[in-house]
Amino acid sequence: MDNKTVETISYLARLELEKDKKEKITKDLESIINFVAELQDLNTEDIAPLANPLEKVAPKREDSVTSKSRKAAFLSNSPESDQDYFIVPKVVE
Amino acid sequence: MSIRFKTLSELKELLEKKEISSYELVSETFKNISTSKTNSFITLDEKVALNKARDFDEGKVDGDLAGIPIAQKDLFCTKDLRTTCGSKILENFIPPYDATVVGNLSAAGSICVGKTNMDEFAMGSSNETSYYGSVRNPWDLERVPGGSSGGSAAAVSEGLVCAATGTDTGGSIRQPAALCGITGIKPTYGRASRWGMIAFASSLDQAGAFARNAEDCALLLNHICSHDSKDSTSISDERENYLDNINNDLKGKKIGIIKEFDISSLNREVQDSFEQSKRIFEALGANFVEVSMPNIKLSVPTYYVVAPAECSSNLSRFDGVKYGYRAKDVDNLEELYIKSRSEGFGDEVKRRILIGTYVLSAGFYDAYYKKAQQSRRMIKNDFVNAFSEVDVIMSPSSPSSAFKIGSKTEDPIEMYLEDLFTISSNLAGVPAMSIPHGFSDGLPIGLQLIGNYLEESNILNFAHQYQKNSDWHFKTPDLGESS
Repeated sequence: MDNKTVETISYLARLELEKDKKEKITKDLESIINFVAELQDLNTEDIAPLANPLEKVAPKREDSVTSKSRKAAFLSNSPESDQDYFIVPKVVE
Repeated sequence: MSIRFKTLSELKELLEKKEISSYELVSETFKNISTSKTNSFITLDEKVALNKARDFDEGKVDGDLAGIPIAQKDLFCTKDLRTTCGSKILENFIPPYDATVVGNLSAAGSICVGKTNMDEFAMGSSNETSYYGSVRNPWDLERVPGGSSGGSAAAVSEGLVCAATGTDTGGSIRQPAALCGITGIKPTYGRASRWGMIAFASSLDQAGAFARNAEDCALLLNHICSHDSKDSTSISDERENYLDNINNDLKGKKIGIIKEFDISSLNREVQDSFEQSKRIFEALGANFVEVSMPNIKLSVPTYYVVAPAECSSNLSRFDGVKYGYRAKDVDNLEELYIKSRSEGFGDEVKRRILIGTYVLSAGFYDAYYKKAQQSRRMIKNDFVNAFSEVDVIMSPSSPSSAFKIGSKTEDPIEMYLEDLFTISSNLAGVPAMSIPHGFSDGLPIGLQLIGNYLEESNILNFAHQYQKNSDWHFKTPDLGESS
């Protein structure tokens, strides 16, 4: 886990690390990755990955409208919106 | 009449006999909260709660929990009541809907007095990662209450409320229940709806309850658990009455002790309490069997791949656009995402997002994430095999009693090992609970009972019989001036 890797994953996660915390976070990430590395020596031949403890198939439902539009309620939580849209900085020049 | 430390069932009886009104109960609750030193609550809802109490007193509300004040962990969405998840990024978030669990408890007539403090996005075992400050353990204000549901556990332990909700992704109900000397249960994955629970690791997250004893936990689960078509992993089995089997005889029942958990490495008092608890169950006619679970030692590393991976995906929704914190003075959309997330999330959340991003990134996916999913199946198989031999599995809930605030914040691995005994049940998805069973260094410690899939009734039965034959659950902290 070097500085370059930390910079790459930080960008992928859209996070910016404060300069004075970068060193500590890099050290922490390295010790966590070393800690979980013991899994790599595990013999997992013929073991199917388990994604969900119930191993259920997602249930299907009728494709129907289940609730009324609540546009105003949802827009009201936005940091910036008008009557119809969430507002963000200009994307297209 | 002092309501502090009364159980849910006791308060229910007082209300039924009209020896106290719900208004008195709720007013007294807010009075107690105002003098509390534990920082258990992030947001209170006094006006609404008092109105609901009045409605109950006027005979307008009924239900199994009618008129009883309870607390909701601040991870559950509550309609028109701020829900922060312990994070700055949701400091001003007011959900337009109730989580299913919250709706179920309201439908039973209970009154939510407020939202309890927690580790940010439930990531932590000490409640120190909350943006709203650490919660303090009522048994010793210099110590942590455990986490992540630390506020709920401390509020019940301190007698502010008789019951509270929690969520458990790796031990977040059982470890704080143990450290605060109360009872807490996490049902089978899928038993309680996750709809309206702010997601951390979706294949591990499960809602549950805190109360003063197992009987009250059974009563709460009757309402917390339900089938919900809005949660695709919700179990559709018929709902049972968890109070029906708590008085079953334990004669001839088999309790498994995990061979690979080295109890002898723990401190003397933790070992002695464990032996003492074994003797109580033996006196009740249960037998002990050693079960080998060779893969259980992989639980903590497996969890710290699976949980951060799911967290990095779930928390990508926080981008400063539709709700939550938005950074000021940004030039473009990408900067808006980066600045909002970087200013809105705390250090532990960032650490876990970064680990998750790393283990899911191209070139590392097979070596970490796929491998962890495979070891997860091996751990699950260990539980399936063990439960073919025994009725329940017993272990300590945590390696030690509550530690000092600040003592484990420097080393993340040391903090992660707090959940050594609890994490495996989440990976397998089985139900588990913690009950108080002794003291170490003058602070409470817990006994963990793990059950087979959908056998919440069974562990509640063991816990209730234990509590009928012990008095640890009656112990309460000395609150000094704040009481």
